[in-house]
Amino acid sequence: MDTKYIEPFIEATINIFKEFYGEEPILKTPFLFDKNEDLGWDLSAVIGIAGETKGVITLSFPKDLIIKLTEKLVGYPIEDLDDDVVDSTGEVVNIIAGNAKKGLEQFRLVISLPSIVKGNNHKIAWPTNHNMPIISIPFETSMGLFHVSVGLENIIK
Amino acid sequence: MKILVVDDSRIMRNIVKNSLLSDKKANHEFVEADNGVDAFNIIEKENIDILLVDWNMPHLNGLDLVKELRSLPKHAKLPIIMITSEAAKYNVIEAVKAGVNDYMIKPIKDDKLLEKIDQVLESVK
Repeated sequence: MDTKYIEPFIEATINIFKEFYGEEPILKTPFLFDKNEDLGWDLSAVIGIAGETKGVITLSFPKDLIIKLTEKLVGYPIEDLDDDVVDSTGEVVNIIAGNAKKGLEQFRLVISLPSIVKGNNHKIAWPTNHNMPIISIPFETSMGLFHVSVGLENIIK
Repeated sequence: MKILVVDDSRIMRNIVKNSLLSDKKANHEFVEADNGVDAFNIIEKENIDILLVDWNMPHLNGLDLVKELRSLPKHAKLPIIMITSEAAKYNVIEAVKAGVNDYMIKPIKDDKLLEKIDQVLESVK
């Protein structure tokens, strides 16, 4: 796995979590994503990449974790995966993707508006493409584990 | 001062407004929009002192809104700060060419936003 192009996403995630949620996530070992693997995700924010390559960036959480993080951000209790959770998680994946572009300036990339996937223990099935393996980057917080997953065709190998 | 905050994220608009409210001396009035089309209509109708605009939004994005405004002589001098996650240098250059007065990369810090607004308003006097 070539981690050179993963690093901008790791750096962006750590910085943004510190700023937004006041929580410094700890990087665990990135791995090649297996679409059959169940990682306990209840909410994922998905952003598309176009331009000089195409790809996808997702940010995936178990329900309890994203609710607790959103409560830290907004400052009031949240009961469910409501509009505040959807809005803020979409914004966070957008900021991660936008900030990571700074470390990938040799490629002119365009990011799409985020979409949100909700569902108990959902899986995300990216098209099988050997030119675009999906690398999942786990991060640990004091409240649980989340994943940033990145695929950029012909860039991340 | 009447500030138009344009971002498709309501939470982000609140973060921007709260940053500005940290300046206890100021007495700001906020107007909000979640896309470029609504923002353009507000600017046409109201006397906005400064526009704080995101880039990636539905309908009309922030960059195209800035281009549209700058193509109209009556809005040529409207102070505009773009507040966006688009951190690549080529994005900054594109926004400056379109006519923004300044550019901030999310996440923003309260004191930096206040500083930028002061600088931009001073520069257009």
